[in-house]
Amino acid sequence: MFKNSFRNRLFAAMLLCSLIPLSICTALMTQVTRLQLDSKTREDGAEQTAALIQSMDFISQALTASAQSLQDSETVIHGLASGTGNRLQMNGFLFDATDTFRNLAVFDLYDSAGVCRYSTRGTVSASLPTDWGVLYGAAQAQGQPVYYASEDPSDTGAPLLMGAVQLRAQGGCCGFLVMRLYLAGFHSILDGKYSQSDVLILSRFFRPIYSSQSYLNETLAPALRQQLLEGRGPEDGDYIYTIAQHEPTSLYLVLRQPRMFTARTVRLLYTVSLICMLFCVLISVLVGLPISRQITSPLRRLMSAFDKLQQADLETQLPVDRSDEFGQLAARFNQMVLALKSNREELLTNQHELNEAQIRMLQAQLNPHFLCNTLDTMKWISKINKVPQVAVMSTNLADILRFCISAEEFVPLYREMEILERYIEIQKIRLSDDFAFREEIPEELYDCMVPKMILQPIVENAILHGVSGISGSVIRVRAAEAAHTLRITVTDNGRGFPPEMLGNPYRRDKGLAKGHLGLYNVDMILRRNFGEEYGLLLEPGEGGVGASVTASLPVRYEEEETQC
Amino acid sequence: MKKILVLCLLLLLTGCAKAPAETETIPESRLVVYTSHKEAVYRPIIREFEERTGIWVELVTGGSYELLERLEAEQTAPKADVMFGGGVESLESYRHLFQALRCQQWGTISQDFRQPEDDWTPFSALPLVLIYNPKLVDPARLTGWEDLTRPEFRGKIAFASPTRSASSFTAVVTVLRACGEDTLTALAENLAGCQLDSSGEVLTAVADGEALVGITLEETALQRIAAGSNLGLVYPKEGTSCVPDGTAVVAGAPHPENARAFLDFTLSREVQQLLGSQFFRRSVREDVTVPDSLPALEELALVSYDPRWASENREEILEKWEKAVKEG
Repeated sequence: MFKNSFRNRLFAAMLLCSLIPLSICTALMTQVTRLQLDSKTREDGAEQTAALIQSMDFISQALTASAQSLQDSETVIHGLASGTGNRLQMNGFLFDATDTFRNLAVFDLYDSAGVCRYSTRGTVSASLPTDWGVLYGAAQAQGQPVYYASEDPSDTGAPLLMGAVQLRAQGGCCGFLVMRLYLAGFHSILDGKYSQSDVLILSRFFRPIYSSQSYLNETLAPALRQQLLEGRGPEDGDYIYTIAQHEPTSLYLVLRQPRMFTARTVRLLYTVSLICMLFCVLISVLVGLPISRQITSPLRRLMSAFDKLQQADLETQLPVDRSDEFGQLAARFNQMVLALKSNREELLTNQHELNEAQIRMLQAQLNPHFLCNTLDTMKWISKINKVPQVAVMSTNLADILRFCISAEEFVPLYREMEILERYIEIQKIRLSDDFAFREEIPEELYDCMVPKMILQPIVENAILHGVSGISGSVIRVRAAEAAHTLRITVTDNGRGFPPEMLGNPYRRDKGLAKGHLGLYNVDMILRRNFGEEYGLLLEPGEGGVGASVTASLPVRYEEEETQC
Repeated sequence: MKKILVLCLLLLLTGCAKAPAETETIPESRLVVYTSHKEAVYRPIIREFEERTGIWVELVTGGSYELLERLEAEQTAPKADVMFGGGVESLESYRHLFQALRCQQWGTISQDFRQPEDDWTPFSALPLVLIYNPKLVDPARLTGWEDLTRPEFRGKIAFASPTRSASSFTAVVTVLRACGEDTLTALAENLAGCQLDSSGEVLTAVADGEALVGITLEETALQRIAAGSNLGLVYPKEGTSCVPDGTAVVAGAPHPENARAFLDFTLSREVQQLLGSQFFRRSVREDVTVPDSLPALEELALVSYDPRWASENREEILEKWEKAVKEG
């Protein structure tokens, strides 16, 4: 398809030239921008995460510092272990110990049986199982803080995170300090440390504890956990995740930042570039069509002009309507055709002139004028001097000569025959030969126009080469018409032609003309005047005796001659 | 300039080059649990198990038959470690999927619930009870299975189709054992062709008064009552069954050690106590007492219930049942 059509190749090239750079450019821009924005977002995320992790230190500090100061107070330990502490005094110690943290979290003191004895807020005498949950964990941890996530983070009335530390008296457990952190506490700890993103706090088993958007607890947290268990990093086309663990509490912090360069943006970009590409295609078509038409239509015109030229139509011309290479080409072509045409016309004229000159020269070989007059004079002198044979001969010769120098080229057949008879008369006297001459011409052919002096050379040839020296010989001249062709045959019963002369000898070999210039000339005249299919045919005579020369020429009459 | 060009080309070639994800250390110690329990039941247990053992639990939840069929499909390459939940009948009929594992607390399990081959381990006991709407039914008129065949309850019995509900099937077998085939047929006929789609609908139907009486599990009934539904509860005098649900360790489990730890944990005193105090279920351990509000298991008339026999004759029993329901 592309190989055969220049237009298609032009289109393809234009499309390639416009589409390839465009698509490369789009892809590059998209990738570069995306990576740039992503890395910016990641940097931001890392900073925010660091700040958030730092502020989470509050959680661990609140519990460990309070627990430490309570543990250090013998009154508290004793009061808790014995269950006999003064309520106000104990509360005072508890409030003192949790002073800086109390506004964000609730602190409770539980005894070793899991009954809440003192609290910075809310009801006392609630209890927690010591064989289950946070107190069990704290008991196992032996004075190290433990943190338990709420079972249901959507229940914001309940603490989202509980931390507990076992308080120890001599040799054993005397109670627990429990810190309860509610939604509001998380808000105050984390708010303002991040922007344009969501924060999720997960337990060490990736269970949700807190999220800045409550629905994320049910959607994002399980997905993150699943991804972690499947060994994949957190992946999302629309968000970038930064996950960090807060070492003291083992809690995980997840920062979710929306990608500035989302799949939607990419789609939009690609849509725009697609539209650009379509535009490019359109432009290619719009520009390519006229250009290709400008190129192909002159080529096509040139092709058809050459076709016409091949069919010998020399009138072909191309319109020269532009000045570019194609215009020049068309002008050159026209010049070439004109040159060819004039060349050919010149050639034809030359040929024609040559032919006429040749004919005229052939005729002129025979006669100058004065011979005629001389012969007339001779005739009269011989009549005066009573030499009748000379008178006859000179009369005949004069007639022949006059006939020869007459202006007309073509004569009726009867005139030709008259002149032939004069010639025969002369020859009979000259050669004193005993040959008979017969003419058998149908009367209707008498008026046929023939070139003058075509029969004389044939008969002369028959006399000189055929019958001279043979007694009782006959020379016949016959004429017949068949299919508009006039055939004039001269036969004799003489020696006949040598075999190499039979047929159309002068067409085969011009060298043969040397000895028979007369016959050659006749053949030449016929062919030049009427065409190659006419001319002389040399054959053996009837019954293989003598010779037969047939001149063939088209049948023409006087009026036709004038038409020519 | 050249470097930038090369970089650009590289970017182009690699396409969406992924930034290295900040992967956490992928948890090594894991357990995959398929559970048909309600979230309220499995959540505290799973959380506590994680906290105590440090094992990460992956949960797949669903209906018990659904999960068992999934286990069956995964039999050649098991993904799950433990099947947590499901009536012992269903576990029994899929016992080829499980490995025999005797838990540490086997000795503490009540004789009634012990399973000799240890293909599965009982978790909690769930007696069948009758419920009624106290505003519409005189408690004196409803004391046992026989009462359900009375004409006054005709078409007013809320009962889930035993082909769909495992507890309903248990009920059918229980009636068969307690009262015999005639009572069962009479009961079927007394439904007047009306069977519910799921056992959950039974309670709603009775509480709303659409039905007068219903057959369901003690656990679900107590939960509804605790949630404030208007329901009365009767333990049938002819006797009831107390079929446990169970836990089974999958044969070829990818984490066999953790699976064993979990199995032991489900039978730990803490968890078994939690059953009574939080989930209205009865412990399968002899040494864990039922809450004071509930009658002790020994006080209830219990029929002997052979889960293996029930699962082997399931088709036949159901066929008879459906036929009787249609005739009624």
